[in-house]
Amino acid sequence: MSLTTDAVPAPARPAPAPTDHRGSPIPTWSMITTRFMELRRRRGLMIAMIFVTIGIPVIYAVIATTLHIVDPKTYGPPGGFNTFQGLSVGVLYLFGFVVAAALGATAGSVDLSEGMFRHLVITGRSRLALYIARIPAGLGIVVPLVAIGFTTICVFSVATAPTTFKYGPASIPAGLSSTQLQQWAADNYQTVVCVLPYSQPTPAGVDCRAYGGGGFNQPSAPGAKPLTEAQLQAFARTAAVELYPDYSSRHLNASASLMVKTGLWIELEAIAAFVIGLGLGSLLGQRTIAVILMIILEIIITPLASRAHIPHLINVQRGILGVAMSRLRPNGITAALGGGGGNDFHVTESLGVAIAVIAAWLIVWSALGAWRMMKRDA
Amino acid sequence: MSTGTSEWAIETHGLTKKFGNNVAVDRVDLLIPRGTAFGYLGPNGAGKTTLIRTLLGLTRADAGTMSLLGYDVPKHRDRALARVGAIVDEPRFHGHLSGRQNLQILAAAREPAARGRIDAALERVGILQRANDRVSKYSMGMRQRLGVAACLIGDPQLLILDEPMNGLDPAGMHEMRDMIRALVDEGRTVVLSSHLLDEVQRTCDALAIVDHGRVIQQGSIDTLLAGGSVVLKVECSDPSQAVTLLTQQSIGGTVTVAGDELAITLPPETSRDVFAEIARVLTAHNIAIYRLEPVKTSLEAWFLQVTSRLGDPQ
Repeated sequence: MSLTTDAVPAPARPAPAPTDHRGSPIPTWSMITTRFMELRRRRGLMIAMIFVTIGIPVIYAVIATTLHIVDPKTYGPPGGFNTFQGLSVGVLYLFGFVVAAALGATAGSVDLSEGMFRHLVITGRSRLALYIARIPAGLGIVVPLVAIGFTTICVFSVATAPTTFKYGPASIPAGLSSTQLQQWAADNYQTVVCVLPYSQPTPAGVDCRAYGGGGFNQPSAPGAKPLTEAQLQAFARTAAVELYPDYSSRHLNASASLMVKTGLWIELEAIAAFVIGLGLGSLLGQRTIAVILMIILEIIITPLASRAHIPHLINVQRGILGVAMSRLRPNGITAALGGGGGNDFHVTESLGVAIAVIAAWLIVWSALGAWRMMKRDA
Repeated sequence: MSTGTSEWAIETHGLTKKFGNNVAVDRVDLLIPRGTAFGYLGPNGAGKTTLIRTLLGLTRADAGTMSLLGYDVPKHRDRALARVGAIVDEPRFHGHLSGRQNLQILAAAREPAARGRIDAALERVGILQRANDRVSKYSMGMRQRLGVAACLIGDPQLLILDEPMNGLDPAGMHEMRDMIRALVDEGRTVVLSSHLLDEVQRTCDALAIVDHGRVIQQGSIDTLLAGGSVVLKVECSDPSQAVTLLTQQSIGGTVTVAGDELAITLPPETSRDVFAEIARVLTAHNIAIYRLEPVKTSLEAWFLQVTSRLGDPQ
């Protein structure tokens, strides 16, 4: 049988030269915006992200505020420094990592699992550009959501912050200087004697029954000679001087500077989670395992690595992302995980090493994800 | 071969793709002229889809050369694919997005003008009214149509459609055939991969038949249909002796026995003198001939023979 593939006349129409830079690794703006759209329209994932970043702080705010309004004696003002720290570090930092990683793993794997990767490759567009387009698209979701959630936390913690410091059943006005605190102590010597902490023996002659034994001090010894009012005021001034270092270290609210630093730190962590999740998702080609691995890293490996004292593995421990991120944690706030347990050991590392570790995580996982995408059969 | 002005839409030489020890594409030489509808016909598992995936750079070739629209692949893959549209296997999309949104994603990966062709493409494949529905609600046939629309937004000179009739109802298949012909009439080249001869026969100008990864026949439909082999059926008194005699005579064909009947398969252009020679040899050895009938084997019959070995070890 003859081979006659030219049975139909060939029109020899020349192919026009492409007008775009399809082989360039730099994605176009429309590639980024359509990828953003694709991620944003994943309803379940978006609901989870919004719930974690914004929903939990809002729900906490509503419940705590309601309790305070209903029963202000039992439930104090819901805001303040501790609330800021608890919601930002305990919730947003921790769960923000997980949802950002989930979004990254989704962005890195769904084209493949949903069959779109093949269509995209057939366009002739650089696979590297296809990969890179996902980074700004995903960050366009992660960064604003974390920012909104964090802003919500800041506003709530400031707006509903208490105006006094609580020392047992006593409340001391905030923002006093040492002299002002001594004056306040002299004016309220009975509270000082009965409630506030001090190292001197408890003076006699003060009726502390009204405080119900809720203070720091034991009743004075039986038969002790009662002090005069002037002596009690002098005693209170001395106690105030003793108290001042602790008083001045307390904050009703995080400072603006601390809020900014904490916000940037949480954003950095969420960005890292997204980028690593993207690389891992692309490398594995599927989302579920990538998300599970990221959760294990954040919830199990990081606390263990930051607290375990293993001399031979100390450099490995320093190489864990969460340990390096912990090094960048702003002064004044405590770790999200790893506290307690009766073990005060924390892995330490220099700032330079921490930055290098974080950069290495971002670069290595991005490179692995991009490499796999470029080499993968579509 | 890398100028972009070649007369061939697809040109391959010795193209080979292996998966371990399995040779999915075996030294394929193809020359597909521009402006034609070209069928790539073979049974399931013959290596059709693997060849398409290799051509499109979805998987790497192990040996050989290839070019699309005159551009070497993979060297100038981006230029080659700029004017290529393809459906490979079952078209799948993001189910949570509408058909239009899926096309927007694909258009963004093409040139800026591609976005402006979305509505026209959707209209051409007949799903413009459902363009804003989520793809998860589309039927298989609608997804096939969306796949073709995804090809069209690139204003392709070459369309490679892998089993495009899958999932289409009879009316949809008819529309698809008409559309393929219309695309060819516009000067585009359409490569239609299928395991159905009838489908290829109705739609294409030329075809290649592939089996076990190899192109075993290639040419225009008319030529291939006219060129089927000839089977000479002979009913005689002593079939076993007849086989021995004819085998010794080197008649240029293969001889098999089925009951009292011989089946002598001969090349397509075998002259009638060969039939006479066969009859002479048999009668000269006192073998009585009760019937001697030349039967022309059609391409379809031959192709059915090939495709009927489904499940055989590859």
